[in-house]
Amino acid sequence: MSNLILGVGEFGASKTPTDTVKTFALGSCVAVILMCPKTRTVGMVHVALPESKINPEKAMTRPGYFADTGIDALLREMTKMGCDPRGKGFIVKLAGGAKIMDPNNTFNIGKRNELAVKKILWKYALGAVAEDLGATYSRTVSVDVSTGKVTLSSPGRGEWNI
Amino acid sequence: MNQQEMREKVLMAIQEVPLLSPSATRLLELSSQSDYDIDEVIETVKFDAALTARLLKVVNSVAYGLVHEVTSIERAVTYLGERVVASIALGESAKALFNKELKGYEGPKGELWAHDLRTAIAAREVARFCTTDLSSDLAFTAGILHAVGKAILTEFLEDTSHAMLGDIDSHDATDYLSGERARLGIDHTEAGYELACAWKLPVALQMAIRYHHAPAEAPAEHQALVYAVHLGCILAMMSGSQASDALQYHLDKQYTDYFDLKPEQIAMIVLEMNETFSTLQGALSEFKENSQ
Repeated sequence: MSNLILGVGEFGASKTPTDTVKTFALGSCVAVILMCPKTRTVGMVHVALPESKINPEKAMTRPGYFADTGIDALLREMTKMGCDPRGKGFIVKLAGGAKIMDPNNTFNIGKRNELAVKKILWKYALGAVAEDLGATYSRTVSVDVSTGKVTLSSPGRGEWNI
Repeated sequence: MNQQEMREKVLMAIQEVPLLSPSATRLLELSSQSDYDIDEVIETVKFDAALTARLLKVVNSVAYGLVHEVTSIERAVTYLGERVVASIALGESAKALFNKELKGYEGPKGELWAHDLRTAIAAREVARFCTTDLSSDLAFTAGILHAVGKAILTEFLEDTSHAMLGDIDSHDATDYLSGERARLGIDHTEAGYELACAWKLPVALQMAIRYHHAPAEAPAEHQALVYAVHLGCILAMMSGSQASDALQYHLDKQYTDYFDLKPEQIAMIVLEMNETFSTLQGALSEFKENSQ
């Protein structure tokens, strides 16, 4: 069993049944999890910011950083592994997009990330079947490639599945 | 044990923390001044053989990707920058404290240093948008130190995270600080401040540690700095933290009195924080492994 660990702005996919795809401590970032039932491939991208226009050069070298380039990049990666290029038939799950305690939602990066991710998914006619978004806690996400089970955890809050 | 007795125990634990090395103390003092001579930084480093060796290891680490090996301390200091040098000196001098596993916050070893480093980088970037005069070097140094009180309180908070979060979720506590105070009679900002006083750190740094979650209460002459660290800490938590207190604090929106920040600029700061953090974290972790 091995872990495919994704850092901030990274994406990756695996079809090795013994693998776990994992990303640590999502705050306002959003993990987009794409699962292709046909090829039994699991992919994930750790999106940090909504739009690549703030730094197009960065989007070229690290497309996973941004919602508007990260999902496309993950789909291209999964296409190389035999999946449908537009994600037809994919199962989508989302986690992250947390916020600080602020009733005015001044630093709303988490919400903006969520909306940007959903906008791109809609472009592909994809919608999430499960999501754990918002609130004020960080999340670590693990996906078991063999079962597709998505486990979330947060210090002091334990583990749960979506 | 009641709240007062717990508080006394925490204060006693602070008095038992070893003092910083003379070089770390001097470098922190220098980097908190708006105008200082880089030769003085170099001279301070030169008198500390262990620190000299560590700086050379860091600057020559893979993360910095230099083509030619740096062998002089003058070049190493110039290349790394004074604030990174001061941070390395601090990290070395109080390594046990900053690298401690945060059991009381369910955070792994290195989590405190990672959060402090992210906060420092973000505070430095935020400082550039200050509408009054604020040194970005000072904001960086204050960011490195701001949460040091957690290294003290962690020993006293084991197995409390779940209950603390429950109190916040049910509105019995307003934030993590009030949970700390309810259990120990002291929170991590006050514990950190007491330690900063024992270490005789410059007053500006003491204020940043004491008020980084309540910047409006800081003395007026230090508020710009304290707000920079406040925002830096929040942006660091939003970028990921493996501790139970992550995001369990309030944003003071009066930061707008000192900083003119638009959403795009906040996004740029987040980007810069993550990028610089990767570089520095890579270099410093390599240096830590080599030094063990």
